[in-house]
Amino acid sequence: MYDCADIERLAQRYVDGKLNDEEKMLFEKHLEYCLPCDKKIEFELKLKEIIRIKAKEKFNPVDLEAKLMDFVRKLN
Amino acid sequence: MPTERQKEFAKLIEPHLSSLYSTALRMTHNQNDAEDLVQDTLFKAFRALDQYQKNTNFRAWIFRILVNTFITAYRKAIKQPQKISYDDMEEFFLYKRLDETVSLQETNKEEFLESLFEDDVKEALDNLPYQFRLVVLLCDVEGFSYNEIANIIDAPSGTVMSRLYRGRRLLQRYLWNYAKTRGYITDDFKKKS
Repeated sequence: MYDCADIERLAQRYVDGKLNDEEKMLFEKHLEYCLPCDKKIEFELKLKEIIRIKAKEKFNPVDLEAKLMDFVRKLN
Repeated sequence: MPTERQKEFAKLIEPHLSSLYSTALRMTHNQNDAEDLVQDTLFKAFRALDQYQKNTNFRAWIFRILVNTFITAYRKAIKQPQKISYDDMEEFFLYKRLDETVSLQETNKEEFLESLFEDDVKEALDNLPYQFRLVVLLCDVEGFSYNEIANIIDAPSGTVMSRLYRGRRLLQRYLWNYAKTRGYITDDFKKKS
């Protein structure tokens, strides 16, 4: 059985999908009956997603295409 | 006219160009330096193209060149990492701080994340020491696996994990500081008594 300290210790590896099958099963078992841990993990997953979405630069594909063509020309 | 080799190269690069620019921008902090970094990376990659083994992980290969190029170019400029105290680097830092506030009850924690400005998230990342920033970007923004990152930054995966976890914890502290200074946490912010 995992306790809350195990959840804290393994949280980041869980968020990255890095636990093995047994660890994952025990981890999720704990979340099923421990609401505070469940909420924390949900928050961490959301935060990871938010960072991916908000930190990624959005470039205009036309600009990128132009840059690439520009670069290829310089190779000549 | 581009040669066959150039065309082949352009085709390989195209799907990754946006990611390369995005990462270069976060690493150099400015548009011009990011342009130079990507350009140098592409020149090196083109020259080394024969060393790339077809049907292997091109994305990891090109990012490895980007990281090497960055470190070589900025070796002198990169400050030795400041001594960061890891004493209060607790897990779930941001969640716990939000949980302690009166103005942000249960349902609002995820709304708080949604409401963060892109510029604040980017600035928080930009403030991380570069080794941490690099690993967080590669994992959380670009979606590389631990093994791919180990290969890209040429470090054991244990190092990747420790930098990633510390980087994320630091990032949570920075985001919390923004939350307080930028008014995400409203006037009635105070600790639950």
